[in-house]
Amino acid sequence: MSKALSYQDRLDRIREIKMIQTKEKQRIYGTDGYWDMDDKGLIAPPESFTFTPESDQDDGEYYGAKMTGLNYRKLLESHPVYINPMSSLAGGWMYSFYDIKKPKWDSRIDYSFLHELQEKYDLVHGIGGIQHFNVDIQMGLTLGFDGLLEKINKYEKLHGEDKKEFYQAERDVVLGMLDMIRRHAAAAKVMAETETREDIKENLLKMASVNEKLLISAPETFHEACQWVAWFILFAVMYDFNGAGGSIDKYLRPFYERDIKEGILTEEEAVFHLACLLVVDNAYYEIGGTYEDGRDRTNKLTYLVIEAAHRIRIPTSICLRVHDNMDKGVLELAVKYLFEDDMGTPSFLGHDAVVEGFMKNGYPIELARQREKTGCHWCALPGREYTLNDIVKISFLAVYDVAFKEVINDSEHSPSVERIWDSFVKHLSIAVDTIAAGMDFHLKHMHKVFPELMLNLLCHGPIEKGLDISNGGVEYYNLCVDGAGLATVADSFAAIKQRVEIEKRISWEKLKEVINNDFEGAENIRLMLKNIKRFGNGDSIGDEFAKRISETFTQLVKEKPTPEGRNMIPGLFSWANTIPFGKKIGASANGRHAHMPISHGANPDPGFSDGDTPTAMAKAVASVQCGYGNTAPLQLEFDPKIGATEEGIKLIVSFIESLFHMGGTLLNINLISKEKILEAHKDPSLYPELVVRVTGFSAYFASLSEEFRQLVVNRIVEG
Amino acid sequence: MEGIIFDIQRFSISDGPGIRTTVFLKGCSLKCIWCHNPESINSKKELQIVSHKCIGCGNCIAVCRNHGYEMIDEKKVYYKDRCQLCGECVSQCYSKSLQMSGKNMTVEEVMTEIRKDLTFYEDSNGGVTFSGGEPLLQSLFLKELLKKCQSEGIHTAVDTAGNVPFGSFMHIIDYTDLFLFDLKMMDREKHKKYTGAFNDLIHANLKKLVQLKKHVFIRIPVIPGINNSKEDMQKLIEFIKNLPIDLVELLPYHSLGGSKYESLAIPYELASLKTPTKEEMTEIGKWFKQANINVKVS
Ligand code: SF4
Ligand code: SF4
Repeated sequence: MSKALSYQDRLDRIREIKMIQTKEKQRIYGTDGYWDMDDKGLIAPPESFTFTPESDQDDGEYYGAKMTGLNYRKLLESHPVYINPMSSLAGGWMYSFYDIKKPKWDSRIDYSFLHELQEKYDLVHGIGGIQHFNVDIQMGLTLGFDGLLEKINKYEKLHGEDKKEFYQAERDVVLGMLDMIRRHAAAAKVMAETETREDIKENLLKMASVNEKLLISAPETFHEACQWVAWFILFAVMYDFNGAGGSIDKYLRPFYERDIKEGILTEEEAVFHLACLLVVDNAYYEIGGTYEDGRDRTNKLTYLVIEAAHRIRIPTSICLRVHDNMDKGVLELAVKYLFEDDMGTPSFLGHDAVVEGFMKNGYPIELARQREKTGCHWCALPGREYTLNDIVKISFLAVYDVAFKEVINDSEHSPSVERIWDSFVKHLSIAVDTIAAGMDFHLKHMHKVFPELMLNLLCHGPIEKGLDISNGGVEYYNLCVDGAGLATVADSFAAIKQRVEIEKRISWEKLKEVINNDFEGAENIRLMLKNIKRFGNGDSIGDEFAKRISETFTQLVKEKPTPEGRNMIPGLFSWANTIPFGKKIGASANGRHAHMPISHGANPDPGFSDGDTPTAMAKAVASVQCGYGNTAPLQLEFDPKIGATEEGIKLIVSFIESLFHMGGTLLNINLISKEKILEAHKDPSLYPELVVRVTGFSAYFASLSEEFRQLVVNRIVEG
Repeated sequence: MEGIIFDIQRFSISDGPGIRTTVFLKGCSLKCIWCHNPESINSKKELQIVSHKCIGCGNCIAVCRNHGYEMIDEKKVYYKDRCQLCGECVSQCYSKSLQMSGKNMTVEEVMTEIRKDLTFYEDSNGGVTFSGGEPLLQSLFLKELLKKCQSEGIHTAVDTAGNVPFGSFMHIIDYTDLFLFDLKMMDREKHKKYTGAFNDLIHANLKKLVQLKKHVFIRIPVIPGINNSKEDMQKLIEFIKNLPIDLVELLPYHSLGGSKYESLAIPYELASLKTPTKEEMTEIGKWFKQANINVKVS
């Protein structure tokens, strides 16, 4: 008989299987950008599997709670079983419910009154936006799936006929989930019957009993809790790409401590379950932080989560909250593994800055401390706050372009930088108002199109009130509005100011001409405009403009709520939009060629100085924070060599602390040498396992599109 | 007061403890053939031409009042002897093909750069390092900078090759928290051959420094074929082991400077040298450890 596999052996097998699946996905969907986002745990389905949603409309589509609930239930009831016998957790996802649904909006709900301005400023307006808020997993662990069902039944009785459809839809979702769990429990048993390896057989039987238990009660053990979370994450990502995984070291802690005390769990086994959970899907988990009263919340599980990510060594999206009173050991361990594993994980959140910032919206500190980092760049209160995080964007470049053209084509007044600025502010203000009106519109109608049936279950209010979260189900509505392309526009203003106004090296006419012609035959002028002291140097005109833009944008977003009185929170972030935002706009005065991408997040443009040192980047990004609790992340590339020594790790730790002492909110670190990235860029298929931290998430380099790969390469090579 | 600076590097993490800013002062009294910063040797400004960046816009030719450039057979030729180093062509070369190596800066201007990273020095126990060239060749300017740093609570380090009169050290000694003192080899003749000077003055200065109870890190560049033999290293160990120094740092030679020499049009004799391997470095480190010397291998 073969020797029993150790937990690490099993994790190694699981990673191998994942790599095979990843290569399979790269093969089926092409290496060229099948997945310009988080490396989701999606598994390619068997070819025999098909799913066709049912329609109650003449056009063959479906909208609203009833049909969405029915269809999702139907999907879950037909979804193939996936069990990896090496893992302690059952389940895998093969289908994207929302993604396949088209159209995404019911065209009878008309918002053409906003179209003109939305198009003029190329706004990503969030109408029809999904998820991007945070759920309360702790509540789910307390209730269990059967408890959720009871809760639905209980509140249904308190409401009238008008809510029947909503409750039926929520019930359908839970019934679908229970069916899928039931089928997995049964399948695990069947697999166990034919399994010859004793330890694996035992694992499958345990898996079956854990899942049978979850059908009838809330989880009690650590293993059951991990399986419960795994299911929730799977159902939610399948439903509409939800990636919010919550404070994992908080909600799993009671289970861990109880099991350890009772002697039914070892540390090693806990790490194993956690690692299996990380494989299920690359959800956004946060760890660390403080209790409501400000005491450090680091605990044994905080360490174990980091350990688990280290053992499994796949892309994960874990974020460690950093603050002065924290247990430093966990920060040092996180940095050590960041360098050792080269998976770009974890990211680091400036706890104090986001807490203090959120308070500025008028909330008490105790509440602010509960906001969890569960998205690419964002935080939200678990289950109590609707946010539209990361899906509402204003491209500063689009607005600037309108202003620039308005001034330069005005034959009656002579142009000046201040006139462009004034025009920029005027248009930015209209853009913000348009966004605000659009978000109100979204909140009025979204529940009729595609309600959050999955995430409602773990929120406080929707089930109680019979209202979708997008329709007033929860307590707090703090809507995220991000500005994008800060560096591109700051440097454009600065270039004109320096070269045209101060030094008078070129005339306004010449500027207009070269920009109109995309610098054709004027490379010299393009370089002249590009090689100014750009944003990032700290005391340059570029920095002045970057701060001015951030302050003005913040002011405009904060000066009034949406027309219907909802609070908005400004931030600076763009990743997925950097390419499309750039594509629409011609050349800009920072020397950017027509249709090239805008700058990433709040980062200075690569090559802003000789060497683009990390300290300069950190200071620059810290200096442009909007300051209301949403982030303006810093994306940094470090030479992997720095972390090779203990001394180097200490330096990085102190660097992280400095960033947050200066007011930084979020830090994503990528470790890759220029040589390696250039090699991989030549032929990505030779590097299927190379992981890069793209922004708030990590991904396989080979799975990104050519354009996105180019962006990552530019950052590393020019920076 | 002004000095001549050739570079200021932020996030410098191998020139003393913590996160530092390194200020490179121009001019050196040695001429080591393996020098990484050839532009630091000459104490005057120099025009650097990075030909592959040139986009042929012709600005430089047009602006130079001293006929510093001429087109010969469709190729641009630079006449060093005619050039007054006024910098006009550099400011109009937007492709950065022309760069001025060396810049006059006031104490306050340098301080502005240094102050940018104060938070990082504080959190990492870092500070500022003055390097070169040989920073002590501008000892009065250096003194002002160090004084200012100390008065603002910034940790100061000076990276020196030691080949200056001890009087220069006396100017700065009270304002320097740490010396990074470079030693190359003990053999007098060899030293003269490879660096252009004997090492007597250097050794005497080092002894005096430690007598004055200054904190000193000794830095030894390990250069294959030049000072990496057991014999050379043993001699260094013999000399160092009786000195009360804090640390010896062994720095592997990196072949980096070649292309830089090209752009300055000075011959570079070591183009083919290889970087010592990690194993070699560790082995040399062992010899130091055996003599009870606190050693760090980079
Ligand atoms: S100014 Fe610069 S780019 Fe233009 S010709 Fe002279 S060296 Fe070349
Ligand atoms: S530095 Fe001045 S003198 Fe020398 S080549 Fe350039 S413009 Fe002419």
